[in-house]
Amino acid sequence: MNQGSADKTRVDRTARKTVGDFTHPDPRITCRNVSVHYGDKCAVRNVDLDIGRNEVIALIGPSGCGKSSFLRCLNRMNDTIEGCRVSGEFRMDGNDLYDPDMDVVLLRAQVGIVFQKPNPFPKSIFDNVAYGPRIHGLAQTRAGVEEIVETSLKRAGLWEEVKDYLNDPGTSLSGGQQQRLCVARAIAVNPEVVLMDEPCSALDPIATARIEELIDELSELYSIVIVTHSMQQAARVSERTAYFHLGDLIEVGATDEVFTKPQHKLTEDYITGRFG
Amino acid sequence: MNNRGGADMPVDTTQIIKRTLARRYRREARFRRMGLFAVVLGLAFLSLLLFSIVSKGYTAFWQTFVLMDVHLDAGVIDPEGTLDQEVMFAADYGGMIKASLRDTFPEVTQRREKRDLYRLVSSGAGFYLREEVLQNPDAIGKTIQIWVPADDDVDMLMKGHFDRDKPEEDRRIKDQQIAWVDRLVDQNRIELRFNTTFFTAGDSREPELAGIWAAVCGSFFTLVITLLLAFTMGVATAVYLEEFTPKNRWTDLIEVNINNLAAVPSIVYGLLGLAVFINFFGLPRSVPLVGGLVLALMTLPTIIIASRAALKSVPPSIRDAALGVGASKTEMVFHHVLPQAMPGMLTGTIIGMAQALGESAPLLMIGMVAFIADAPGGFTDPSTVLPVQIYLWADSPERAFVERTSAAIMILLAFLFSMNGLAVLLRKRFERRW
Repeated sequence: MNQGSADKTRVDRTARKTVGDFTHPDPRITCRNVSVHYGDKCAVRNVDLDIGRNEVIALIGPSGCGKSSFLRCLNRMNDTIEGCRVSGEFRMDGNDLYDPDMDVVLLRAQVGIVFQKPNPFPKSIFDNVAYGPRIHGLAQTRAGVEEIVETSLKRAGLWEEVKDYLNDPGTSLSGGQQQRLCVARAIAVNPEVVLMDEPCSALDPIATARIEELIDELSELYSIVIVTHSMQQAARVSERTAYFHLGDLIEVGATDEVFTKPQHKLTEDYITGRFG
Repeated sequence: MNNRGGADMPVDTTQIIKRTLARRYRREARFRRMGLFAVVLGLAFLSLLLFSIVSKGYTAFWQTFVLMDVHLDAGVIDPEGTLDQEVMFAADYGGMIKASLRDTFPEVTQRREKRDLYRLVSSGAGFYLREEVLQNPDAIGKTIQIWVPADDDVDMLMKGHFDRDKPEEDRRIKDQQIAWVDRLVDQNRIELRFNTTFFTAGDSREPELAGIWAAVCGSFFTLVITLLLAFTMGVATAVYLEEFTPKNRWTDLIEVNINNLAAVPSIVYGLLGLAVFINFFGLPRSVPLVGGLVLALMTLPTIIIASRAALKSVPPSIRDAALGVGASKTEMVFHHVLPQAMPGMLTGTIIGMAQALGESAPLLMIGMVAFIADAPGGFTDPSTVLPVQIYLWADSPERAFVERTSAAIMILLAFLFSMNGLAVLLRKRFERRW
């Protein structure tokens, strides 16, 4: 206890400028000067960050630091939250995400999301995965839909477990299976970026390991932004890591550097477990 | 186990908790007993109500019939032998019934006595005879045996509702008539038979000819209109308000108004129906169409409130999931939220429909209280509804309408139960799909 408070006095709380290089040589999404407010409360303040092509970037930080809020900006899921205001500039391949002409439906088909709590539709496993392709008209025939469902479930590592129970309700699966089902549902529409909001927080280590393997495989095709509370997980799966603290982006860098040689005091305190 | 607090906490916490436990359990037991008492009391009142209705009403499902030998006089029914339906329809069948009665009791000669004799059978007995003749024209010229309904006073006598020991002037049936009935009983010419008339006929001034069918039809047509309008509009309103409108002062105002409308006395809706639908739009009175419109207005707030509650209870994670794979807002609502909310919406709808089924006050205002003997054939035929029919019968002086009132209440309850059963089935179906 005493040691912690002594450390905190050493932290320079005014230094909230982002340490490290927030740009990426081959960016998929560029975010500049991003702020998110819920009513009067500021959740994210003036964040600049690039999401690279085919990279896995981990967003870490203590609870309430704004990393989920930032993540949800990337496919405008924040639009649905009452009283939420987003400012700043988001560009994906040069297109402004928050342009009034931007089609949100199209955006969300391109930028898929996996939520913290597994939330399969209360429908069959098959329909869960087939829903996205069906509404977007990705397959014209039943056979086409079946093929998408099969490949998506295979890529999510769930096919072998559920191939004989495709008509069972998705909610009857275990937590880890449900989360992989949600991943399969997200990748079934063939997104270009996948956002993951603490996808393993409700899972046991085995299920977590499967999801992490999956992230590795998916990173060959997609850009992945993952929010996580587990620093080991961030270290295992990501190429770059961004550390958020109370709404500020404190430090960005290659994952091994952030974890081995954190430059900012706050980052160091967090990853060494002094607070968070 | 003890003294974790050391010197400054000398009392064992376990002891403290144990001391409070007895009191806490007592409180729980008391609450349980109160709950049980409330349930038992409720059930007692319910069974009392059902018992009183059934015990009063079950006799209405039987009706006293008299067996008569009727000579079908060809000269009266079909004088020209053409078998023309119209001629046969217009013949004096009542006269033949009377002639038959005179033959059965040849000692009756005086005018007044004859009149009392004729009162043994229903004034509608002729219609039964006509029906028989029109179906079997071959019988014309012969003497046939036919069961015709007895008069309601005879019916009451047979069912034991009249006290024979009372002085003659205090009862509706005379000593002489009782003697005749007893003679018919001795001859096995009188018996209680199942009362099909009650289920197939419309209202009548004569209890033995009155039936519930017209009111059932009226209620059915009215409720069809109510259901179609109130359910579609209610669900659409709820979905729009809950899912699509921004939350602001106007939607708050609308919400407050809807909640207030749910509490408006139903007769006010009747006045509105009278002023708007009948006087302004010129729709006919006493018809299921207007009744259904009025009841739809009355039920709408109930359905909207229940539907909004059902929509609110759909977990936001489902909405996020749908939006997350790129569903538009409308797709999200219709593919995921609405099916999830449907069981709750159906529950609300059924409550509203049950309310509408039992409602009579607003229908009185739009003229559905009129005496209507024929079953309506559509939405624009004059008709009455079950609760109004019950009210009308309860208001009638004849003793025989007492049991028919209770019987009609049973029919109303059966109608209600079957509606509820249907809703439960539907709800199960919707729930099983997930």
